[in-house]
Amino acid sequence: MRPVGPWRAGWRRLRRDRGSLVALAAVAAVVLLALFGGAAVSRLTGHSGAEPFMYAASASQKPVGPWSHVPTPAVPRYDAYGNLLTPPKGTKSTLFLLGADGPLGRDELIRLLDGLRTSLEVGVFAMLIALLISLPVGAVAGYFGGLVDAVVSQATETMMAFPLLLFLVFANRYLLGDIRAVGWSWVVPSGVVGEAVLIGVFTAFYPTRLIRAQMFSLRSAEFVEAAHMVGATDRRILRRHLLPHLAPTLLVWGGIAVGTNILAEVGLSFLGIGVDPSIPSLGSLLSTVWGTIFNPHSYDSQAYTPWQTVFPMVTIVLTVVSLNRLSEGVRSALDPRSIR
Amino acid sequence: MRVARYLLWRALRGVAVLLTMIALTMALYFAVETKPPVMFFFPAVSRGQPVTPAELKVVDHLFYLDRSKVGLYFDYVAHLARGDFGRYSTIDPDGKLVDVGPVAPLYLREVRATLSILVGGAILVLLLSLPLGAISGSRIGSWRDRVISFGALVLVCTHPMMLGLILRSGGGRVNWLPTTGYCPLVRGSSDPCGGPVDWASHLVLPWLTFALLFLALYTRMVRASVAETIHEDFVRTARAKGASQARVLGRHVLPSASLRVLTMVGMEIGTAIGVCIYIESAFGIGGIGSGAVSQLGGGNPFLNLPSDLAIVVLITLIVVIGNLVVDLLYATVDPRVGVERGTQRTKSLVGGVF
Repeated sequence: MRPVGPWRAGWRRLRRDRGSLVALAAVAAVVLLALFGGAAVSRLTGHSGAEPFMYAASASQKPVGPWSHVPTPAVPRYDAYGNLLTPPKGTKSTLFLLGADGPLGRDELIRLLDGLRTSLEVGVFAMLIALLISLPVGAVAGYFGGLVDAVVSQATETMMAFPLLLFLVFANRYLLGDIRAVGWSWVVPSGVVGEAVLIGVFTAFYPTRLIRAQMFSLRSAEFVEAAHMVGATDRRILRRHLLPHLAPTLLVWGGIAVGTNILAEVGLSFLGIGVDPSIPSLGSLLSTVWGTIFNPHSYDSQAYTPWQTVFPMVTIVLTVVSLNRLSEGVRSALDPRSIR
Repeated sequence: MRVARYLLWRALRGVAVLLTMIALTMALYFAVETKPPVMFFFPAVSRGQPVTPAELKVVDHLFYLDRSKVGLYFDYVAHLARGDFGRYSTIDPDGKLVDVGPVAPLYLREVRATLSILVGGAILVLLLSLPLGAISGSRIGSWRDRVISFGALVLVCTHPMMLGLILRSGGGRVNWLPTTGYCPLVRGSSDPCGGPVDWASHLVLPWLTFALLFLALYTRMVRASVAETIHEDFVRTARAKGASQARVLGRHVLPSASLRVLTMVGMEIGTAIGVCIYIESAFGIGGIGSGAVSQLGGGNPFLNLPSDLAIVVLITLIVVIGNLVVDLLYATVDPRVGVERGTQRTKSLVGGVF
């Protein structure tokens, strides 16, 4: 039997775990739907997610429910009081699979899929930013110890003690400046980069501590001493010998972090500092129904449908749960102590 | 003796965190407020008249820009050590600096509201998560475990703001409980309501919201802890002696499992205050969380150093004192405390969201 490397062995173990495979398929489906779902549904139904439809919301601005054929007359007809009249028979109509999103009458399904993409972008970018900050800081603090370590530890301890949201709110108001408006058409909507920077910078303490702790235990390992003996520099030891050891930990952390970042994005929308409400994201879809902390809505069954809450929530749960399950599967598959 | 030394060490760490937060707040304040808004206090300036040196001087004084920053820091810390949070000032129409009053009273009232949510909610979380986690963790993979674990994950994904508003709508429909506002525990002369009954009835729904969110986190933690402990030798010994399942869980497994939970509780107090921001807003409670958001990031045209510092210091104090209480509890549960100095503590990852 040929010897196998740790990654290949891990993949073999992962393949045998049915729950992890299901989670992997779910994560792949979520990513594919987020990237191409909106465009595909838009092509199939013949309308885009930004188009408002008059007949997709009732007079009291309550949006239509799932599986509605929304008439699309060329010229809408009104009665003497300005109320919208039902169009004549035979008017062309278009299908809203999951109903409409609110008083404007846009397609909920397309906005949900586009919103999933926005939220995933925030989640992944924020994770990468946190990684970019924590990798050098945590590695240096854990490897060299001493004063650097003391400063880093005090900083992370302080950050963890204080409510994160207040940092976010303050930084958004006073420190973020022009980053907020950065965006690139519909691919990366404006506000995504700003949010990712906010979340990434202020959640970096967690991976910093993970990396620091692992470096701390590795720095006196025999293979590090051996590298010192043959004259390797600190830089070379950090890059060639220690960083590869962090990869499994960071992979697992990354998966869970994307999930929590998506939850954080929802939180920012409820704080009123998320993406612009006109841009769909899982957070902005929910906060159009429930308001922000400055203006909480009490639920009005005349103006909202439960679907507006249910669909984003199901999407969030599905995404976060499958990311979590996959990360746990990867963790146990890459754990050298598991025998399988 | 070792326990006392350990607690002293933790208290010193807490003081260090407090001093760091004060320095950080001042640094951010002076980084942001470099150009004071003179026209806000002198309408003539907004009409296009040039700023006179006297006007600039008084505004600079109001915004503490004419003070040495290091001197101001030590001055503030010295005042704080005597329990003095400083005073507000403003500029009257004649262009003179006038004193408005002490900063502390308003925020102390807000702190009481937030602490009411925190303490009651935390007790509810413990009462619910320990049995649920024990049921779930004592037999990993059973249908009970699956239901509880999945329910916990779904609750983690539910935002406290939304959860609070849903409970509020539901509570409004049933009409058993008041759904908005806060009543102090001890009724003052100017309060419209107060006393233990009003206090508790107004807080039932906020407590429930708080508990449902943290329940999800802690049930998972207790579950993992129980699942690990249940295979230890001392548990098998207890079983061999003929102890019932309830006794094994209640007397042997849970006390041991609660240690890990306790260290986590200490780290999550800041998180809990973050969650309180949303709960306070959902139920219309004027607490320190929503007060802090409107002060530090909301509608004010400029920052106000005494009140910003008061908010930061009060929140940090809640966290630091809460941590000390947890340490004290920890020391009573586990007498080995302090043997390994500098053990790493960290938040749960989901806690990082708040």
